[in-house]
Amino acid sequence: MSRNTAIKVTNLTHTVTSNTGDLTILKGINMEIKESESVAIVGASGSGKSTLLGLLAGLDVNTSGEIVLYGNPFSSQTEEQRALARGQYVGFVFQSFHLLPSLQAIENVMLPAELKGDKKARQKAEALLEKVGLSHRLTHYPNQLSGGEQQRVAIARAFASDPKVLFADEPTGNLDEDNGNLIIKLLFELNQSQGTTLVMVTHDNDLAKMCDRQLIMSSGQLTEKSL
Amino acid sequence: MSFTYRLMLRDLRSGDLLTLLLALIISVSTVTSIGLFIDRLQLSFEQESANLLAADRLIRSDDAIPNIWQTKADDLGLKHAQRTSFTTMMFAGDSLQLSQLSAVSEGYPLKGAYLIDDTLFGTGSASTGMPVQGEIWVSSRLASLLNVTIGDQIEVGDVTLTVMKYLVRDPGSSTSAFAISPRAVMNMVDLAATNVIIPGSRVRYSLLLAGEKSILDQYEAWVMPQLNEGQRWQTPTQRGERIGDTIGRAESFLLLAGTLAVVMSGVAMALASARFVKRHLMQVAILKTLGATPQLLGKMFLQQLLTLFVAGAVIGLVIGWGIQEIIASLLSGLMSTTLPEPSVSRLWLGATTGLISMLVFCLPLISHLTKISPLSVLQPNAKVELNTFVIYLIGFIGLYGLMCVYTNGFLLPSIMTAAIFGIALLVAGMGWLAFKLGRSLTSGATSGWQIGLASLYRRLVPNLFQLLVFTLIIMLTLILIGVKSSLIADWQQQLPENAPNHYLFNVQANQIEQINNETHKLNVQTSDWFPMVRGRVTAANGVTVQSLYPDDKGEPELYERELNLTWSDTLGKGNELVSGDFSAQGLSIEQRVAKEAKLTLGDQLTLNIGGNIMTLPITSVRTVDWGSMQPNFYLILPKSALENYPANFVSSLFIDDASAQPFYKAMSQFPTVSILNVGDILKQIQSIIGQLSQAIQLVLFCILSAGALVLLASVRSTLEERLEEGALLRVLGAKSSLVRQALFVEFGALGFFSGLIAAIGAEMCLYGLQVFVFNADASFHPLLWLFGPLIGVCVISTIGIFASRTVLKVPPMLLLRGL
Repeated sequence: MSRNTAIKVTNLTHTVTSNTGDLTILKGINMEIKESESVAIVGASGSGKSTLLGLLAGLDVNTSGEIVLYGNPFSSQTEEQRALARGQYVGFVFQSFHLLPSLQAIENVMLPAELKGDKKARQKAEALLEKVGLSHRLTHYPNQLSGGEQQRVAIARAFASDPKVLFADEPTGNLDEDNGNLIIKLLFELNQSQGTTLVMVTHDNDLAKMCDRQLIMSSGQLTEKSL
Repeated sequence: MSFTYRLMLRDLRSGDLLTLLLALIISVSTVTSIGLFIDRLQLSFEQESANLLAADRLIRSDDAIPNIWQTKADDLGLKHAQRTSFTTMMFAGDSLQLSQLSAVSEGYPLKGAYLIDDTLFGTGSASTGMPVQGEIWVSSRLASLLNVTIGDQIEVGDVTLTVMKYLVRDPGSSTSAFAISPRAVMNMVDLAATNVIIPGSRVRYSLLLAGEKSILDQYEAWVMPQLNEGQRWQTPTQRGERIGDTIGRAESFLLLAGTLAVVMSGVAMALASARFVKRHLMQVAILKTLGATPQLLGKMFLQQLLTLFVAGAVIGLVIGWGIQEIIASLLSGLMSTTLPEPSVSRLWLGATTGLISMLVFCLPLISHLTKISPLSVLQPNAKVELNTFVIYLIGFIGLYGLMCVYTNGFLLPSIMTAAIFGIALLVAGMGWLAFKLGRSLTSGATSGWQIGLASLYRRLVPNLFQLLVFTLIIMLTLILIGVKSSLIADWQQQLPENAPNHYLFNVQANQIEQINNETHKLNVQTSDWFPMVRGRVTAANGVTVQSLYPDDKGEPELYERELNLTWSDTLGKGNELVSGDFSAQGLSIEQRVAKEAKLTLGDQLTLNIGGNIMTLPITSVRTVDWGSMQPNFYLILPKSALENYPANFVSSLFIDDASAQPFYKAMSQFPTVSILNVGDILKQIQSIIGQLSQAIQLVLFCILSAGALVLLASVRSTLEERLEEGALLRVLGAKSSLVRQALFVEFGALGFFSGLIAAIGAEMCLYGLQVFVFNADASFHPLLWLFGPLIGVCVISTIGIFASRTVLKVPPMLLLRGL
């Protein structure tokens, strides 16, 4: 069965200006990610993986080329339009969790649905926290949770907006092995049960191997790793 | 509840918005309480001074007051009364006495009260009444001179009046300095029948007015063009009135104090906003990754700020009102008068200050939050470039505008702004040098000194900012202390202990020795005796006064009335030579009147003395301390010029309560000598000064409390960094004592430098204020240089250590996890 395209990247180049002059981080990248696919982007530190992830999610604007996510041409959209597209299609899981410290676990998970004006944000958040095994931690604040628990809350939050694409930046980078494995299991389970496309940046080869495809970032260029 | 408010409530619970709300409440309540309290004090001073005038406004005239002036006052709804004062002979049995008599119409006094007594030479109690038809109230001195007591009869012209009270104080009498005593007061309805006022009589007519200021202003605009040469419009704050000067200075001081509160509140708001923004950078980036659009975020923050403003303003206004009520009730026992209720309309000041502060200090900073790149979640360095210049410019314009609104002028805010700018430059330069020096002198991290001094340079920008904040607050404190002490010292200097409280005049040369003998017996010391001759300046440098001022407008005081002239070979007490030679055979002129009439050394003045014309050059210029209560003169002539004119003599003396009665009795043997008791007026002024200095101390306390809160807020703004550093040091094995020492050194050094720079700034500022605002002489304040650094070290290290106590108490692990 042929799947629809979730993300299409054409001739993507990204240059940043630093004190020492212009630095081209991404050089002419072309790729396509299909719906429900799981893709791992691997590569050495500083190779541009996170920059690519940020651009794919519309967090920043590329210098040239085109990125289209579910029909949204990020390169030519305003921040306002990209934010709306993120709210509609995108979910995030970060290495350092990025939970709002002032909000309880349940409130953190409710955020995406609340931003969309969803009246059932709380019920949904409770169900998601139950799925990640944290129904007993609903009213805890992030600093009262362990790293693994915080990442589970982050995963629940990422799925709260029913995203079409889930971007994960080193999701197990700050966790021990047991917690890492638990997080990976959760991510893939949810990815499969909800049909979400998963784009993940990781250093972890075992984790990368679990994905449908592996893309290797090196010197600003992307190559497909044959499986 | 909408998402915005749910998020806001969560932020409030976490303490982030709470800091901003508290800053707003502090800002609004400080400005409100000071504003309302100042308003009450101003109203109180106006009332006190109105007591001295017996009205809010007064028209003094040499001719009868036109009826139309009273009709106009009626039309505008102003209260009015009339007073007609003149000197007349009174008879009682075989006794007769020249007396100063006032006839007053119904309603007099419009402000203040008579002090009357049933006992001769009693101290009196207040009475808002006045003599009814057929009655007369006489001063104790007049009663003893006429040998009458209560119930006796006195003849005034063709009318016989019954003595009903002894008059202790006549409200409004103080405005006519050198009024002839002994005095009496009668009802206006009896005046016509006396037939004592005939064409040519020297009579002073007064129309007294009272009412709303705006209506009085309207009346003033209407009546001013109609006033002729012999008519004057008088206000309580009129120039030359000592009490007016006092009020003017008090207003300047209180406005200055209020302005400082505005500045301080602005700083607190800016600090709280900056902290709010700092702590929300990541939150906004996360919200953006979750799909929050910049527009949604902008709307959300605006809504939150507005809600915060309404809550903060309402709470702040209520607290502000409460604080000033507490202040007023605390002072009620100390103050001589009950404070009038504050005007509710003054509440706008606190609310407006809060709103403008939010608009200029919070909004620009918070609007930048919406521009944070969502990429910050992946790359923490991807920060938005804050256009700090625009932010500071908006903040500055807002603050300046607030100060202008508050002081209703540009001078005070301009001086303060210039000083603040100067200080900012000075602080940046000196701070940078000092921190760099501290860093280079200490290397390594083995002692608290090294760590403390090194961290000053390491956090250069935040520390320079903190240095500026501390410097400003200490500077404001020093300025307040400086202004307060120099103002109070100035007032006290104006009214020395045992300042003369009685004037003796109309004394003939042959009476001086006898009077000296009498006063000597009573152990009372008179000042020097000054001969007094009446004369008028008719021309300057050969040009007549009429030609100089053809329309009688803007005539200098020197030319407008007959002057008391004296001669003396030596410069009297309270006089100081400014230029020229006092012993030269010419005129010695008082500096202020010379300046007003644009006269300098060498100019020729022509005088008409009893029909004789003489022209003399100005050979010296003097300053005169009018507060010395010594007899003082605008013009002093050489003895040779005046000695052949018939003169009477004037002197002043201090009489305490115990000596009063024997003194009056002794003086009754000199019926032609007039005695003016200015003691009561002095007492009233002293009570106002006492009230003022209490108020000033209280306002100072209010502002310092606000300052302490700003200090605390600014320490908290860098608290996270300090906590992190302290925790790391402890993790690496540093003892608590080392961390404590490092904190003490860092805050102590900050305090020391702040205090030192503040002393420099305060000295400059005080110079500007003394010279340009209070019109006083500039003076050096050595104590500021001692107190500045001392206050800095003590207060800032105490507050700093207090605010950072968690660094020492909480286990490092908890701190590191919480960060």
